[in-house]
Amino acid sequence: MTIILLSLILGLGVYTLVSRDLLHGIIALSAISLLSALLFYLLHAPDVAITEAAVGAGVSTVIFVGVIRHTDRKDDDS
Amino acid sequence: MSKGRKKGSQLQTLLSLAAVSAVLLPVFLLSSPWPAAARDYLELHGVQETGAINLVSAIYLGYRAFDTLGETIVLLTAVSGTIGILSRAGASLAEGYRSSEETLSIAEASESESASVPAAEPDLGSDPGEKALRTEETHTKHRKHKPRRLRTHLLEVVTGTLSPVVLMFGFYVMLYGHLSPGGGFQGGVVIASGIVFLALGNRKESSTKITQASVLGRIEAAAFLMLILISVSGIIQGGGFLDNPLGESVILPAGFIILLNAVIGLKVGAGIGFMCIALLGKENS
Repeated sequence: MTIILLSLILGLGVYTLVSRDLLHGIIALSAISLLSALLFYLLHAPDVAITEAAVGAGVSTVIFVGVIRHTDRKDDDS
Repeated sequence: MSKGRKKGSQLQTLLSLAAVSAVLLPVFLLSSPWPAAARDYLELHGVQETGAINLVSAIYLGYRAFDTLGETIVLLTAVSGTIGILSRAGASLAEGYRSSEETLSIAEASESESASVPAAEPDLGSDPGEKALRTEETHTKHRKHKPRRLRTHLLEVVTGTLSPVVLMFGFYVMLYGHLSPGGGFQGGVVIASGIVFLALGNRKESSTKITQASVLGRIEAAAFLMLILISVSGIIQGGGFLDNPLGESVILPAGFIILLNAVIGLKVGAGIGFMCIALLGKENS
């Protein structure tokens, strides 16, 4: 279970780095946060899991989406 | 991308990998057992000495409350730094970004015009087509920077309906931090997401005061003042800094921890919510 979660996190992280559409990257990033919250819970650290879910999947996603709304969705640099 | 730059980025990747392995390898290769004295002491005496069943809370508010005070000061510094940058950048950073982008493209367009005029003198035939192409390019650039509507009906309904539940859960995590996993910081962050949900799901006719930045800032300042007062209040009764002023009560042995958790949760929730709402801009408040 831990290995599945870790490999999913790694794959999503690579997708976040590679993707040109920043919104897709942010959604992958918040999925990483959810998966790592699950991982923390499995490792008997529910405090950290609550914090990770609230900060990573909640607040930071909101901030990133707000920034994207004010700026550009596509990554111009190629 | 040029070849040299690619090589440089590869070198950077290799260097960072080497640094990470240099830090992590000794941890994995170390065969000596982990130190266990503090763990055993806390397992034996933690619940009796602080009254908190959740040992994490017992440590960070019972034994290490001074560190927690420092952490709240770090958070206060982060929030005030963010607000300082935002207020210095004018009404809103986003407006500045868009206007600077526009002036940049206008300047580019005028530059290309002035550059194409002397180049056009030798061969007049190719100039109009090229110019049209360039204006089209700047035109598409302008169209690309048009603000999009990411806020949909779905977002409003879901966040507006979910926010009371999230706020309730945040207060639960905050106030029951001595019994169940959680505490001031965790509950405060959940409360902050509830406040941001309220701000996002806000319809125009039903606005609440809690999502206004000035109210949140005042709450945070008041909570920090209360935290300082609570930590000083032990001295008045003859104890040390951050000593328990409530004494050993029988009904609520963890009363001091609950008090600290509530104040810290209010401060963290108001501070992070304040930061998010200030970053999201004025149209959401």
